[in-house]
Amino acid sequence: MSALSALGTLGRKKPPGQKKDNVAAYLFLTPWLLGLFVITIGPMIASLYLAFTDYNLIQAPQWTGLENFTRMLSDERLHNSLKVTFTYVLVSVPIQLAVALLLAVVLDRGVRGMAFYRSVFYLPSLLGSSVAIAILWKQIFGTDGLLNQLITPLGFAGKGWISDPSTALGTLVVLNVWTFGAPMVIFLAGLRQIPAMYYEAASVDGAGPLRRFFSITMPLLTPIIFFNLVLQIIHAFQSFTQAFVVSGGTGGPSDSTMFYTLYLYDRGFGNFDMGYASAMAWFLLVIIGVFTAANFVASKYWVFYDD
Amino acid sequence: MRPLPRLTAPPRRRVRALAAVAMAAALLATSACGGDSGGGGGDSAGEEVTLRFNWWGSDTRHKITQQVIDSFQKENPNIKVKGEFGEWAGYWDKLATTVAANDAPDVIQMDEKYLREYADRGALLDLKKAEGLDTAKFEPDTLGAGEFDGGLYGLNAGINAFTIVANPAVFKAAGVAIPDDTTWTWDDYARISAEISRKLNGKGWGTAAYGANDASLNMWARQRGESLFTEDGKLGVSKDKLAEFYTNLLALQASKATPSPEFTSQDMTAPLDQNGMATGKLAMAFSWSNQLNALSKASGQQLKLLRLPSVTGKASENGAYYKGSMFWSISSRSKHPKEAAKFVNYLANSAAAGNLLLAERGVPPNTEIRAAVTPKLQPADAASAAFIQAIAKELGKPSPPPPVGGGQVEKIIQRYTTEVLFGRLSPADAAQKFIDEINGELK
Repeated sequence: MSALSALGTLGRKKPPGQKKDNVAAYLFLTPWLLGLFVITIGPMIASLYLAFTDYNLIQAPQWTGLENFTRMLSDERLHNSLKVTFTYVLVSVPIQLAVALLLAVVLDRGVRGMAFYRSVFYLPSLLGSSVAIAILWKQIFGTDGLLNQLITPLGFAGKGWISDPSTALGTLVVLNVWTFGAPMVIFLAGLRQIPAMYYEAASVDGAGPLRRFFSITMPLLTPIIFFNLVLQIIHAFQSFTQAFVVSGGTGGPSDSTMFYTLYLYDRGFGNFDMGYASAMAWFLLVIIGVFTAANFVASKYWVFYDD
Repeated sequence: MRPLPRLTAPPRRRVRALAAVAMAAALLATSACGGDSGGGGGDSAGEEVTLRFNWWGSDTRHKITQQVIDSFQKENPNIKVKGEFGEWAGYWDKLATTVAANDAPDVIQMDEKYLREYADRGALLDLKKAEGLDTAKFEPDTLGAGEFDGGLYGLNAGINAFTIVANPAVFKAAGVAIPDDTTWTWDDYARISAEISRKLNGKGWGTAAYGANDASLNMWARQRGESLFTEDGKLGVSKDKLAEFYTNLLALQASKATPSPEFTSQDMTAPLDQNGMATGKLAMAFSWSNQLNALSKASGQQLKLLRLPSVTGKASENGAYYKGSMFWSISSRSKHPKEAAKFVNYLANSAAAGNLLLAERGVPPNTEIRAAVTPKLQPADAASAAFIQAIAKELGKPSPPPPVGGGQVEKIIQRYTTEVLFGRLSPADAAQKFIDEINGELK
């Protein structure tokens, strides 16, 4: 949210006489700014340089020009990791947002004990990308896992969900969908902003609940949907922990959970190929940038700002 | 957002700015302290020195290694050794990161696969030049694997051999006799494994699938006149032999001698004490001889080592060789090379350490320590030591060490094994892709 509101204030002119105050503000910000430059921007610039080198972590980097990037064109495992990542993003984000919206609408109707449910549903978002949950996931979907123990008595054949390349990615999609709490809370906040009189007027005109949802709730909620969409796509592209833990760091079985970030990590730290990994990191930045830009362009056609 | 109301009158502004400066300074000071505390002790003699020591392994190993550290510290009150340990899988990522960050541990438990990777890039100290490290009592052959380009970059920490671990309890449950491993062939192995699976009827399987590590492929190749790597650091296995390796593996799976592909792919990356052998699901699995102890402890059974089957039914043709199970290396950037060498010397040559480590990392290469330790070995270690002794006359020539980039082979072979077992690639296609990929990795 803060990022969006910050965007909104960017171009505004400063009120006169505030300059001196800024000194104090910047001084207060110093620790954060130092962190930004030392921990984020510095390494980013370094990685931009490394992207054009052959760097094995131990010896000094050697300048190789565009070689890392041309290598990416013919790297089959890289292409596979892109496929895995795109599948993950394009499947899990829409499902996750749909579930989040649905539950937000249900909770918004004034369910008794809503604060409790809100917390319960939000909990997975806090835990979702943690190592502990990924380990739990491994247990649930393992050959002797909870899921098999539940479905086998019902007559379904159990299987090693995580160790089969055709279902392993599915378990990670389910894990991401399960963390619907964060977008749900934002949806709830958005729903609260819609004036009740619209609904009252619609009811008077004889609109049923479905009609009210699609003609009032959805259009007025589009800015929030857009916001959640951008955020969750970026988030999903950067997923790492879940796949790393669930696959034991291999992206396996058979590279079926080899996210782009995981492959990047494997190249850099497992294969002593940090130059290539840096090039991959910048390519990911471009991919996420393109997706976000495309989202903003597309938003002109479907996002409705009520002001 | 509404702008915050302005509360300040001009004179107060200076106070606020000062407060900000003070706070920023305080925060900086805090973070600076944080950065400092990571440093080790002083260099000069007499002052306390802290060494960092990394190893991978099972719980059994962590416990005895910590005991060795304690006993070393007692003898050398000025040297503190900080142990850092973990599983095999995460160990190498962590080591690469710390080395890159110029924060390498002083003493490193090293594997043959990565030895050249680090040594060729100057990350390891030449132990021949290390002061106070004695190799006089070492069995001569055992130094070779850590020696190249005129330097010694890894000191052999134990001898082991690639074997089949058998669980007699599972054999018994299936009512199948443990085969004579000096004469058995791959056909015997396939038949016996399938029989065990059939008799256990879903409660267990005859054998783990091979192809979970590079050693099984190397042994397969050695039995057929090839080897995984050649002396000059190239891939030494041909496409035909590799395809045959996978065709045979598929046949084992088809006869249910091995578990389902899902089980196998899970088992491949499972920690040692959670794998199919440790949980008693398998009658046989491929393993290094020194892991007998840890596997026996994890399974609660007295497991047994078997020679690998051969093509001809002659044990002397099964490709066996002595491998350095692991090595002790010292970081070339260690601030305390003298103390690190002293510690490695203690690990390799002191009776006190020998009596604690026994044969958990393989049979000691120091012949004096080996003689002293042998009578004290617990059943599992005694069995692996006896096994190493028993195969001495059957050994082939040593296997060439993996070239730079060879550390990747294990992950690559696991991936193609999975592809083949799930029927996603034919043995021939997998063989071709494997060869292309390895050739791309080797430097």
